[in-house]
Amino acid sequence: MEQFVSTLFNGLSLSSIILLTSLGLSITFGLMRVINMAHGEFVMIGAYMTYVTQQIFTSILPEGASDIYYIISIPVAFVTGFILGSLLEKFVISRLYGREIDSLLATWGISLILQQAARSIFGTQGVNVTAPAFLQGGITIGGCTFSFNRIFIIFLVLFCLLIVWVIMYKSNFGKQMRAVMQNRPMAQCMGINSRRVDNITFALGSGLAGIAGCSVALLGSIDSTVGQSYIANSFMAVVLMAVVLGGVGKLAGAVLGSTIIGSASIFTENYTSSTIAKAIVLLIVIIFLQKRPQGLFVIKSRSLDE
Amino acid sequence: MNKLLKKQGSNICFGVIVLILAVMPLLYLRGVMNGSTISFLGKCIAFAVAAMGIDMIWGYTGILSLGHGLYFALGGYAMAMYLKLQSTGGKITDFMHTGGFTELPLVWKPFLNLPLSLLLIMLVPGVVAGLIGYFIFKSRVKGVYFFIISQVLTWAAYSIFIALSPYTNGNVGITEIKSIFGSIKGSSNIGNMLLLFYVALLIMILIYALCRFLVNRKFGKLLIAIRDGENRTYFSGYRVSNYKTFVYVLSAVIAAIAGAIFVNFNGSITPSQMTISYSITMVIWVAIGGRGTIIGAVIGAFLINLSEYNLSSGAMVEIWQYIIGAVFCITILFFKGGIVGFVKDQLPAFIASRKRKKNKGEEVPTKA
Repeated sequence: MEQFVSTLFNGLSLSSIILLTSLGLSITFGLMRVINMAHGEFVMIGAYMTYVTQQIFTSILPEGASDIYYIISIPVAFVTGFILGSLLEKFVISRLYGREIDSLLATWGISLILQQAARSIFGTQGVNVTAPAFLQGGITIGGCTFSFNRIFIIFLVLFCLLIVWVIMYKSNFGKQMRAVMQNRPMAQCMGINSRRVDNITFALGSGLAGIAGCSVALLGSIDSTVGQSYIANSFMAVVLMAVVLGGVGKLAGAVLGSTIIGSASIFTENYTSSTIAKAIVLLIVIIFLQKRPQGLFVIKSRSLDE
Repeated sequence: MNKLLKKQGSNICFGVIVLILAVMPLLYLRGVMNGSTISFLGKCIAFAVAAMGIDMIWGYTGILSLGHGLYFALGGYAMAMYLKLQSTGGKITDFMHTGGFTELPLVWKPFLNLPLSLLLIMLVPGVVAGLIGYFIFKSRVKGVYFFIISQVLTWAAYSIFIALSPYTNGNVGITEIKSIFGSIKGSSNIGNMLLLFYVALLIMILIYALCRFLVNRKFGKLLIAIRDGENRTYFSGYRVSNYKTFVYVLSAVIAAIAGAIFVNFNGSITPSQMTISYSITMVIWVAIGGRGTIIGAVIGAFLINLSEYNLSSGAMVEIWQYIIGAVFCITILFFKGGIVGFVKDQLPAFIASRKRKKNKGEEVPTKA
C-alpha cells in the first residue's frame, strides 16, 4: 500500500512535468502541424536559467534571502523560453509555412546548435541547483513520504494549467487561437492575423517548456542533454505520444494523455521491467494511431487532409 | 555538350566519385595515405548507400522515416554476428556466456552459415519493414504522424536491444570482429582491405544503378506524384499504400546492406547506430546533398562525413556541431534542393534572371 501510494505520487509528479512540456507541443502542433524537435532544448534552457538565477542571487544577496531565487527563476525561465520561441518561430518556422516536415527538421538543426551552445557556456559537466529551504524535506503521512519539491511541482503545473485554460478559453486571444486551429482560411477571412497567433502560441509553448525546465532542475543535475534525456527517456516518445494520444490542441486531450503516459510509465517501470513498459506503451500508441490517427478528441471535419 | 551534361550530369558526377574512390587504395599502396583513412572511406561508402535508400523514401516519396537507423543496425548486427561466430569458430561468445547461455541461442544459429547470413541481412529488415509499412500505410497514416511512429519504433527497438543483453551484448554491442575477408588491420592484410574496399564500391555502384533504374521510369514518376499530391494519385486509381510499402521495404533493405558494409570496415556495431539522432543524421546527409536526386544523397553522405572526419578533431570539435546545425537549417530554409538542387536549378535560374535584368538595362536607353 505504501509503495503503491508513493508510486502514485511519483507518477503524478512525472505526469505533471510531462503535461507541461506536452502542452506546448500539443498546442503548437494543433495550430501549425509542426513538432518542435528543439522543445527538449527549451526545457534545458529553463533549467539552466534556474541555475543562473541561483548563481546571481547567491552572489548578491545575503544567505537567508537568496532562497527567493527559485520564485524569481520561474518567470525568468518563462520569459527566456517565450522570447527564444518567438524568435525561432519568426526566423525559422514561419519561413517554412506549409512544409511541416521541413520545419521539423529545421528545428532539429536548431536543437543541435542549442545543445552545443549549452556545452560551450556551462561545460559538459552537469551543474546542480540547490533547492530553496522551503522546498527541502517532506511530510510523512502514514509511512509515505511526500517530498515538498514534488508537491510544489504538481501545484506549479496546476497553476500553469489554469493560466493556459484561461488564455485559451476565456480570453480574446484564445478565441482567435482556437479559430485558427479549427479553420485557418476562414479565420483569416474574419480578419484574424494568423501569423501573429502562430508566433505567440509557439512562444507560449516554449515558455511553458522553460517552466518545465525549472521543475526539472529541482529533481536532478542539469547538463546539455537534460532536455534530451528527459525527452529521450520519458518525454521524447512520451510527449509526442501524449500529443497523439490526447489529440491535438485540446487541453483535455493533453491532460489525459500525459496523465496516462506518466503514471503508466512509472507504474509499469516499478512493477515490471522497463523494457516491457516501453513495449506496452509503444503497443498502445500503435493501436491508437491505427484506430484514431487524429487523437481521441477531434473536431469533426470533412476536409481530405486532416 | 551542354545537353549531355544536363541529361547525364548525375551519372557523370557519380562516375567521377567512383573513379576517385577507386584510385584511393592505389595511393594507399604508394604510402601516401594511411590505412585508417581507407577504412573510413569504406564507411563513407556504406553511408552513401544508406543515404540512397533514405533518398528513395524521403526525397522521392516524401515520407520522412526515422526508422532507418534501426534497419541499418539490423543489417549491421546480422553481419556482425556472422563475423563474430566465425572468429569464435561457431562457439558461443563471451557475452552470451555471461548472459547464462551454454549453447548458441536459436535465433543466432542461422548465422553460422555465410549464404544464409547474407540472405537474412536483407530478409529480416525487409520483413520487419514490410509488416510495419503494410499496417501503417494501409491505415493512411502519413506525414508527421508517420514520423512520430517511426521515431517511437526506433526508440523501442533501441531499448529492447539494450535490454536483451545476453543476445546482443547490450550497450557495448558486438565488438572485436574481423571483416568478411579476414582482418583488415595492419600492412600485412592489405590484400584483404583492398578486396573489401572494391567489393563495397561495387555494391555502391549496383545500388546506384538500381535506384536510377527505378527512378527513371514510370515507377519513379509515381513516387514523385505520391509526394506532391497523394490524394490525386489515389484518385487516379493507383494503390498508393502498396507503392509506399514497397519503397519503404526497399529503402530498409538498402539501409541494412549499408549496415553490413559498415560493420566490415568498422569492426564493431553498437546500439548507438540505432538511435533517433543517428537516423536524423542520415537524413541530414540527404538534405544537404540534395533530396530527390540519387546523386545528391551520395554527395551529401561523402561531403558531410569527410568534413566531420577532418574537422571534428581537436579545437574544431566544438565548432563542428554549430556548423552542421547551421548548415542543415540554412539548407532546409533556403536551399530546399540541397547542393545538387542549387547547382542544377537555383544557380541557372539566378544567372538567367541576372541576364534578363542586364538586357532590360540595355533596352531602357533604346526605348528612351
